[in-house]
Amino acid sequence: MVASKSNGSAPPSSLPPPQPRSPPQFPDLYGKRRELARVQMLQREIGFLDEELKSLESIPPSSRSCKEVADFVTGNVDPLIPTIKKTRRSCRFWKWLCGMCCFDVSWICCCRCSCDLSIPWCCDCMTCNSCSNPCQNCGLPACQCFPCCSSKCFKKWKCSLKCRSSSCCMPKRSCCPTCSFTRCTCYPKCPNLNICSCCHKSCCFPCYYCM
Amino acid sequence: MSVAELKERHMAAAETVNSLKERLKQRRLLLLDTDVAGYARSQGQTRVSFGPTDLVCCRTLQGHTGKVYSLDWTPERNRIVSASQDGRLIVWNALTSQKTHAIKLPCAWVMTCAFSPSGQSVACGGLDSMCSIFNLNSQTDKDGNLPVSRMLSGHKGYVSSCQYVPDEDTHLITASGDQTCVLWDITTGLRTSVFGGEFQSGHTADVLSVSINESNSRMFISGSCDSTVRLWDTRVASRAVRTFHGHEGDVNAVKFFPDGHRFGTGSDDGTCRLFDIRTGHQLQEYNQQHDDNEAPHVTSIAFSTSGRLLFAGYTNGDCYVWDTLLAEVVLDLGKLQNSHDSRISCLGLSADGSALCTGSWDSNLKIWAFGGHRRVN
Repeated sequence: MVASKSNGSAPPSSLPPPQPRSPPQFPDLYGKRRELARVQMLQREIGFLDEELKSLESIPPSSRSCKEVADFVTGNVDPLIPTIKKTRRSCRFWKWLCGMCCFDVSWICCCRCSCDLSIPWCCDCMTCNSCSNPCQNCGLPACQCFPCCSSKCFKKWKCSLKCRSSSCCMPKRSCCPTCSFTRCTCYPKCPNLNICSCCHKSCCFPCYYCM
Repeated sequence: MSVAELKERHMAAAETVNSLKERLKQRRLLLLDTDVAGYARSQGQTRVSFGPTDLVCCRTLQGHTGKVYSLDWTPERNRIVSASQDGRLIVWNALTSQKTHAIKLPCAWVMTCAFSPSGQSVACGGLDSMCSIFNLNSQTDKDGNLPVSRMLSGHKGYVSSCQYVPDEDTHLITASGDQTCVLWDITTGLRTSVFGGEFQSGHTADVLSVSINESNSRMFISGSCDSTVRLWDTRVASRAVRTFHGHEGDVNAVKFFPDGHRFGTGSDDGTCRLFDIRTGHQLQEYNQQHDDNEAPHVTSIAFSTSGRLLFAGYTNGDCYVWDTLLAEVVLDLGKLQNSHDSRISCLGLSADGSALCTGSWDSNLKIWAFGGHRRVN
């Protein structure tokens, strides 16, 4: 009986009555840290922006950078850009010279490099696109064997040379350090051979057009 | 400090940031006394002119059965790797059009690929959030597939772009949808540095593209959906060296200018831009007006070796050749014979600069080269 009384009726007076708990003061500690980190991040950003604002005082105007761009662009050759040079008179001279006889005239293009055009070798043995390797007539590798200016094929092989330094043409093979004869894979198949415009005829880019 | 107080501080700091950014913008405008085109015109520069056969499509690389998403040339210039929606990487000999490898990927959702500097390996990444490395000299398995030689895992979002550090087959930088870029040590498969992230000073949206400076391989740039480009120093991962603002859309493509002191960008806002990394100036905007006011997005860009030409691929299939000095379109490869039938998704120049390769959603790659004469008038 005693036991049933204590279980079924009034609760023991020592326990407090159940009460709803009030929420903790900071329910989401992670969120607080996250918010703090965001604030710190923005404060760092403010520091960086202040630095950048100060650095602008010593930055030159954009015209200087534009000049650098123009100088760089015009000072470098580009294998994808057509090279047009106003050297008609020179070409006539070369045509005349080359038409007179076939010999290595590259020595002319070795003194301080003031010339714009060089046609070092030519060979009248050739007909268009028929140079064997080496050429049976002149013995030169195909890449060096070009038709003379006087021949009807000449217009297909014109090569421009713009010397930019005194070492440009001497020795001839070091004119363009990246070139080698083996890369002239397309001659004589390709009438539109890509001849390196910075150099003489023996250095050409791999021809994606003719193979 | 209570959360409410922190929120107030946050709001105040955000306002300060915005006002500082506005002041910066105004100061920069005062320093922009000219742009590249204005300067070039004042110097009497004339535009590059192309004849009808000067730049021609000389190869079409056929083999993919899905959209081509990415391509990369080898430094030794005659090989190309391409990644496609068909779940394959194909390695091509650009001179002969032959395929040397067709790599079936474990995860078909590839977005980017890159050739290692030595040409021995290729890397790719995509929606699996990983970067996979394949050694091209490995033995194929019994099904004829090339096995993955290394998986680089750690990104929490898709891998949108990857590029090997020049002259280092063991290091690679990836860009990701998790707003970060990562420098990887391929030998160990571990992250060497993470650039950006939730509480770092970095991009605040997906990073879509990276480009490493060839003349100083410690510096790289990243373009992002937050409309900015950031310049990073691989030795300092905690913050970007500089942030470049200006675009009004996702920056889909970034590429260093050949001199290493500037870079170009291509964006969803339809423009390409040229920025100077030392001064932060925007030097030029390359923007073609469209009648319908809906400019196609720029998907990919590349500079010619002299920097005179900027190739830009667009979502409408155009591929403009910009004269960088005069900011004029001098050619549209998309309008030439044998051009692509769909969006240009990627493009790249061979190492010697003599050929351009474009990849398209029409599943083909095309190689463009100078087909004219070197004229002496």
